[in-house]
Amino acid sequence: MNDALIVVIAAQAVTAAVPLVLAGIGETLAQRAGVLNVGIEGLLLTGCVAGFTGAALSGCAWSGLAAAIVVGALLAALFAWVTVVMRCDQIVAGMAINLLAVGGSGTAWLVAQGHGYAELSANAGFSRGIVPGLSDTAQAWLRDLPFIGPLVFDQYGLALATALIAATAWWVLTRTRIGVIIHALGDAPDACAANGIAVRRWRVGLVIFAGALAGAAGAYLSIMRTHGFSPLMTGGMGFVVLALVIFGRWHIGGLVAACLGFGVIDALQSHLQSRGLNAVIPYQVFQALPFIVALIALAVMRRGTSGPRLLGQAWPTER
Amino acid sequence: MRRWLVGSGEFVIAIGAIVAVIIVVLTGLALLGHPPLTVLTTWFQGAAGSGTRFALSLQEAGPLLLTGLAAAVAFRGGVWNIGAEGQFLIGAVTMVAFGTVLLIPGPGWFSLPVALVLSTITGAAWALLATGLERWRGVPVVLSTILLNFIAIAVVGMLVQGPLHDPTTTAPQTALLPEHVRLPVLVDGTKLHLGVLVAALIAIALWLGLKRTTIGFEVQVVGLNPDAARLLGMPVGARQVLVMAVSGGLAGFAGAAQVAGVTGMLSGSPISYGYAGIAVAMLGRLHPLGILVAALFLGMLSTGASGLERRLAIPHDLGDVVQGLLVLAVLVAGGISARRALRPQAEGT
Amino acid sequence: MISLNGISKRFGDLVALAEVSLTIAPGRVLGLLGENGAGKSTLMNILFGQLKPDAGSITSGGTALRLRSPAEALRHGLGMVHQHFALVPTLSVVDNVVLALQSSLGRIDRAAWSARLRQRADALRWDIDPTALVGSLAIGQQQRVEILKALLALDQAGSAQRTLILDEPTAVLTPQEVDELLPAVRALAADGVAVVYISHKLAEIARVCDEVSVLRRGRVVHRGPATETTERLTHLMVGSPVSQPSRQACPAPSTAPVRIAARDLTIRSDGRTILHQVTVEVRAGEIVGVAGVEGNGQVPLVQAVLGLLSATSGSVTAPGKIAVIPDDRQREALVMPLSVAQNLALRRYREVPFSQSGWLSPAAWNVHARALMASSDVRAPSPDVAVATLSGGNQQKAVVARELDGDPAVIIAVNPTRGLDVGAAAAVLNRLIAARDRGAAVLLIHSDLDELLAISDRVVVLHNGRVSDSSWPVCDRAAISRLMLSGSPLEPRATGPLNVGAEATS
Repeated sequence: MNDALIVVIAAQAVTAAVPLVLAGIGETLAQRAGVLNVGIEGLLLTGCVAGFTGAALSGCAWSGLAAAIVVGALLAALFAWVTVVMRCDQIVAGMAINLLAVGGSGTAWLVAQGHGYAELSANAGFSRGIVPGLSDTAQAWLRDLPFIGPLVFDQYGLALATALIAATAWWVLTRTRIGVIIHALGDAPDACAANGIAVRRWRVGLVIFAGALAGAAGAYLSIMRTHGFSPLMTGGMGFVVLALVIFGRWHIGGLVAACLGFGVIDALQSHLQSRGLNAVIPYQVFQALPFIVALIALAVMRRGTSGPRLLGQAWPTER
Repeated sequence: MRRWLVGSGEFVIAIGAIVAVIIVVLTGLALLGHPPLTVLTTWFQGAAGSGTRFALSLQEAGPLLLTGLAAAVAFRGGVWNIGAEGQFLIGAVTMVAFGTVLLIPGPGWFSLPVALVLSTITGAAWALLATGLERWRGVPVVLSTILLNFIAIAVVGMLVQGPLHDPTTTAPQTALLPEHVRLPVLVDGTKLHLGVLVAALIAIALWLGLKRTTIGFEVQVVGLNPDAARLLGMPVGARQVLVMAVSGGLAGFAGAAQVAGVTGMLSGSPISYGYAGIAVAMLGRLHPLGILVAALFLGMLSTGASGLERRLAIPHDLGDVVQGLLVLAVLVAGGISARRALRPQAEGT
Repeated sequence: MISLNGISKRFGDLVALAEVSLTIAPGRVLGLLGENGAGKSTLMNILFGQLKPDAGSITSGGTALRLRSPAEALRHGLGMVHQHFALVPTLSVVDNVVLALQSSLGRIDRAAWSARLRQRADALRWDIDPTALVGSLAIGQQQRVEILKALLALDQAGSAQRTLILDEPTAVLTPQEVDELLPAVRALAADGVAVVYISHKLAEIARVCDEVSVLRRGRVVHRGPATETTERLTHLMVGSPVSQPSRQACPAPSTAPVRIAARDLTIRSDGRTILHQVTVEVRAGEIVGVAGVEGNGQVPLVQAVLGLLSATSGSVTAPGKIAVIPDDRQREALVMPLSVAQNLALRRYREVPFSQSGWLSPAAWNVHARALMASSDVRAPSPDVAVATLSGGNQQKAVVARELDGDPAVIIAVNPTRGLDVGAAAAVLNRLIAARDRGAAVLLIHSDLDELLAISDRVVVLHNGRVSDSSWPVCDRAAISRLMLSGSPLEPRATGPLNVGAEATS
């Protein structure tokens, strides 16, 4: 049963969706609080290279993951300082982060190569289907479960963590005061301030949290899905996440659905490619497919409520 | 965006930011074992140590100037065109198409300008796709222009390997442009071409346009406060379309000039002047003359960086890092200065 | 009993408060009267812990209080309802309360909070739906939410003595909503709360307060019972008589040309009818005032007249050139980073001598700016400074100067005296009257009903997107007030068992 096409595609969709959801949660929270971060692409890339470098240097995958999270958070902190504390333009600052990340990751990669760390050693990368603590036979049994086996247990550990984080984020947003505050920060920061909430501190915190998540998502790409790094390996994924956040209407549930849908398309297209469709259709079409899909999704979505009212505006606004 | 255009301290801000970033970078390199003085002299030698090197810097400054102007025109008009990267490529591929396959009849002094104009138009059209998507489907321009960049890369890639491919080689590149549709070289022995001079003239024209024409004034008002502009009866939508068309056109022209002046063809290797244009525009404080200087500076930065790579094995990706830091420094300095300058009087005065 | 003793406060050179002393007694309503800039808000911000006084002290029953933050003020039983609501329109009422009052960041028990809300609301005979989005509530309802929030905050703080400060509570209310608020204020006092009622509206002070203190330029110039005559109080507030525009209302004869005409204008958007068969005419040589609470269709009407909003049915005729003094000058009239001269040229930059065949002539802009600044008393160091550096009053004067420059034939003014002190406001209103005397057609939308009635020749009332079917004589303030809220000029239903003796007129 687990060989059926639909299961294979579904499992691949989950694998593809994980980094999108992870980075998307962070961006959703930041945008809900009013901060638009187009530098998410740069944060992903930084997570990629930091995760890889950390794992390669230490020989341990967990250090790589930790490095990615820390570096992502630090870079996001720089962005937060420039946009929230110094109140500079968010879009330009985000593009600057992207420039920094491209340059920095290229440099780090060359330096790493120069020192001989071109590839990860065997246990410096994560493998699929690892649930910490279980014996190998138990894990194999879990993986063979019909349907949920490939979807849930034959994934990288981070997939489970992502699902947990998504569920927690949803619960926090809808059932706790933190969620109410986040919602209010993007729609009426003046009202928040009047109620004694430290608007800037919250925004900085959320942006840093988003940076940590993006860093982890980047690490997923370099020390899990592939065990390597190449410059610009995120290939615009961060921008796709921006589109998915909008398409999900800034809700966690919508985001997860959008990412899974995107993952299905991604899985289908790689499946079709391997079936020989690339003889007929040039590979550049597949290359551009994520962006075409994202653009179409944005174009066809119903123009309903358009997100946090003061998204992208610094606070306090000059008057 | 509102805060960029204030006062005459703009020059000071840019200089201050550059100095601050240079100090940071030199310190970082010093910690990695490269003495600052060596770095500076090597860099300078690479950027302007000889006539040839300086000509190379100018040549690099050309496309940066144009994409910088493209970004500045858009931002001034309140339009977030982050798509210069893609518009550049579309202009470049148009130039190749009309230079090699879809030949324009007539002598060089006719067909070259015509091809350049057509490339400008396709660049503008690619930009206007985003405007249309925002007008009719509400897709934010900042995101659609970025997505269109990646789509442009794919489109151009297909054309380069398809109809425009050079039949005489297996390498992924187009045929070479014939001599008569190449931009003439200004200085023998270099690749410094007429396009760079034209770019400088365009900068001056844009400066005059923004400062001294009614349309330029309207563009600024629309960019700073579209609501007030609408109430005052200004044609807000039309100005935004104009600004986007000019911006995309400049980027397209930049791509065409790069092909017609420097490379002679398009290949699979990535060219990236679009995103750098944003850095140029910010460093130049969105002022065409400032951008002229900023483009020269960043051009020198680039050629100097390849000198550093050759001589001191410092990866030239550092140039991107410097660009990013420059933008952040300029943003922060500009924000502080603008806030100080725009502080209101107390009531009752 | 809370006492403020000798409070002084300076902001740079400006003396905001000079040795102010007040007593606030429980169970009594203290009125704090004064015009804009007299120091009322500063004083209350000090009391509420948002500002520190330079000198003086605050005591409660003899013991000194140190109020360093609103939280501390709350703990001492001091609650404040600000003039500008601290509400998030996209959250529900209960979520707004949670935002403000829940001390933990964790789980929300919406049911419990709703119950507490309802309890307090019922005590005041108010009807509140905790799940409603605040943005969908009328302004009067929103204010009730704010008052309930303050009361719940006081409950939470648990102090025995409760003091509630109301800062300009009726600024955005319809006359009928005011009639519903004032009895509630008295009910609070009857319940033992000490109420401070800050306002510049004499009539309300007379109706609801027990005592009045008058502030002028940071000093207490009078203290006494609230039964003083309005004339005496005005004199105390303002000091010297100001030329208030007051003249006979005089609608234009029907022979005068119609400049603005809306006929059966209907605008629908997102399934809601924003304007319903609105018919309004403004002729040359008259001022037509549109009365109505914000949000009843004023903005769409203006947008339709200006051609910015298209009609679903019906028609609007208006000339192409209309002078507009909009509601929000910083967002709709001025370009803040540009210079004063550039802003003043925004209407005429296409004309000679400001530009010629597309090319600008900056020298002419400068000359024009200096002339306007002189004639309209716009104070700035030079025409080349950014207009953002001007004070709010000067900015508004600049907008008025620019728009009325050149004797426009048609003028639309929305809240034209916003942010101006009494003298400057009178000057603006006088300019509108002068324009009308020269034959201009003026459409005036103003939230200050007194000023509106003072200068309008005819009044039309907008309620829920509908217009009263004829213009009301300006003197019939009562009917106009009723129209503003209920859409019907008839006597309202009784306001409830807390009805206070005085009638709904003034």
